[in-house]
Amino acid sequence: MDFDFPEDIVIARQKASDFAKKEIKPEDARVYDKQEKFPDDLRKKAFELGIVDYTNPWSMLVTIEELCRADAGMGIAATVSLFGAEVIMLFGSDEQKQKYLGSVQTGKKIMGLAVTESGGGSDVAGIKTTAKREGDKFIVNGSKMFITNGSIADFFVMLVRTSSPDGKRHHGLSTIVVEADLPGFTKNKLSGKLGVRATNTAELILSNVEVPAGNLIGEEGKGFYYIMTFFNISRAYVAAQAIGIAQGALDRILSHLGNLAKSGRSEEITEEIQFLVADIATRVEASRLLTYKAASFLFQFKPNPTLTSMAKAYASETAVFATEKALEITGVSGITGDLERFFRDAKIMEIWEGTSEIEKLIISRNLLKEASEGN
Amino acid sequence: MPSEEQDILKSAVQEFAQKSLLNNLLKLEREGIDDSMVRALATQGFLGSRIPEKYGGSGIDQSGYLVVLEELATFSPSVSALVMLTSSVFAQLVGDMDPEAVRRVASGEAMASVAFDSILEGNTTVEGLKESGKSMTGERKHILNANPDYLISEAEGSGFLYLIKGGIETKEEDQILSFRGIKLGTARVNCSTYVKLADNGKKRLAEVMDSLDLEISAIALGISRGALQKVIEYTKVRKTFDKPLKDYGPVASTISKLMSEQRVLEMALHNQEIEEEKEKLMIKVLAVDLAKRASKYALQFHGGYGYIEDFGVEKYYRDAMGLSILLQRSRSDNQRLAKEIFGEKSGYL
Repeated sequence: MDFDFPEDIVIARQKASDFAKKEIKPEDARVYDKQEKFPDDLRKKAFELGIVDYTNPWSMLVTIEELCRADAGMGIAATVSLFGAEVIMLFGSDEQKQKYLGSVQTGKKIMGLAVTESGGGSDVAGIKTTAKREGDKFIVNGSKMFITNGSIADFFVMLVRTSSPDGKRHHGLSTIVVEADLPGFTKNKLSGKLGVRATNTAELILSNVEVPAGNLIGEEGKGFYYIMTFFNISRAYVAAQAIGIAQGALDRILSHLGNLAKSGRSEEITEEIQFLVADIATRVEASRLLTYKAASFLFQFKPNPTLTSMAKAYASETAVFATEKALEITGVSGITGDLERFFRDAKIMEIWEGTSEIEKLIISRNLLKEASEGN
Repeated sequence: MPSEEQDILKSAVQEFAQKSLLNNLLKLEREGIDDSMVRALATQGFLGSRIPEKYGGSGIDQSGYLVVLEELATFSPSVSALVMLTSSVFAQLVGDMDPEAVRRVASGEAMASVAFDSILEGNTTVEGLKESGKSMTGERKHILNANPDYLISEAEGSGFLYLIKGGIETKEEDQILSFRGIKLGTARVNCSTYVKLADNGKKRLAEVMDSLDLEISAIALGISRGALQKVIEYTKVRKTFDKPLKDYGPVASTISKLMSEQRVLEMALHNQEIEEEKEKLMIKVLAVDLAKRASKYALQFHGGYGYIEDFGVEKYYRDAMGLSILLQRSRSDNQRLAKEIFGEKSGYL
């Protein structure tokens, strides 16, 4: 067992770290956060310099970690423009891959994944948006909520209901590509988020939107499985976001304590604080190991949903824990600096891409199933 | 105050909040507490509720005051914090030294701010505000309530505590975590009218802040109650997998346990026989911790909706954390508590 990354991933991490130090300055992060503005120049630069490289998943994983370590809002905004691409990569036709993925892989276009609806976040099979086949097109009606890149994406991979469930709710769902500029398709940017305010989030409303039938991804009726497969992948990346936030909080705690020591205030670094630092560092390291193990299975095309959910849930809780404790340790200097933003950003990790409650259900159900099968 | 009178006062605060606050909560968080809200709080007697009548306040006793703080915090922690800053912190620090200033602040004619970050965790030394014998000039960061007519601050070097009367220009700071209704600001001061309040500013500020254990507990319990009320309402109607969220064991048991803690702490807070400092401190330590946990779960069980301001839940999460840093001296409290428990200095290593 070798815990060292290969050289190309070490280099990718270093490149991402250097890029973050140069391009994600705290003062800029504060402005994007306050104004809820998407840092499109940063995103473009990250593509131009090859920081974002979707052809190498390990490189993406460590890059997300390093950029979120500097700032989660800007870091996610710079790396999430291919959100949902795996659905097309794994299940789309060659024509779809060529038409849609080429331009997003070079950073020229932005895409999004539209699954969640106002009536159900965790209950994916309960979606109400319909796509009715009429000749060579689908007529799409419904709405989507909390969609990342919602008002800036050029197109979406969308989960829709194409037929009534045959007794099983997750049957009759399909994934289609819906281009953003189609008539009847409106987007409302959501503002007033607690955190990750540099990312773009919107509500999508579709009223008789006509989508070419050729935009169906894979087989009709298999959408639920495609999306669950996607979540297995994306949750590893969310874990990386959370690790970045937690590590960023730890960096700032250590810097704060270092400054106290330098200014002759070492007595303020009590054992209680030292224990907290040890707890945070241990949890960050445990999150990393769990995430890398889950990613290792995933990137070798042997996904292990139990491990992925463990990684996502644990890393997310670690981000919330680390940022909360970071504010407690740094007090006024933390709340008037970057850490308050880290604290606000961290909480979404426990909610998006499957709440911690859903992750725990997945873990338990898989374990119980394995046990009942005698594994 | 007898419990019947507490109930009447509670109803009065709730009626005011329903009428004047409820529809303005989002605006208040976005733009801050405006003059009309300050005047409304003053007219109702809430702004100066703990200030003696001779200084223009309502002069209600502490048990009634705690009801006011808790009920207001249930709707808006920022409004409750403003009342505490005015009625307790400013009024206690100034008192007889300048009754007119206290009267103006209690009546809503003027706004007061206090810079007490120097006694909080993660503090820095007070820099920038200098007293020359004739004037007070310079800049003071991290003042709570960013638009004041009066400012209480220590001066650099001497550490004396002053009431600065006018000549204050403020700029809001970027901190947007907590108490958005009153904001943190940086004050630029150029003033020749000021009054010395104490020789040892830090000591005096710490004395006052440490005397507010129950007041801070009331705000904390208002935050947790506000968050828990929201999440109980939400989980009754929000369905997932065709069942209301409240039907799921982890949701129901978590909320039920938090509500149990809430009720027990409220009983303790409003128990008028509590006089010992140790017990007051115990309530505060537990109440602030509950506010943080209750608001975190309330947000979590709202899912994505909890993360956006429209549902009014995320503010409790932000303000609970802000309360523990900007109004509470948590490490100092832990050491005070340890000293009370062990009977001598403890827990400082």
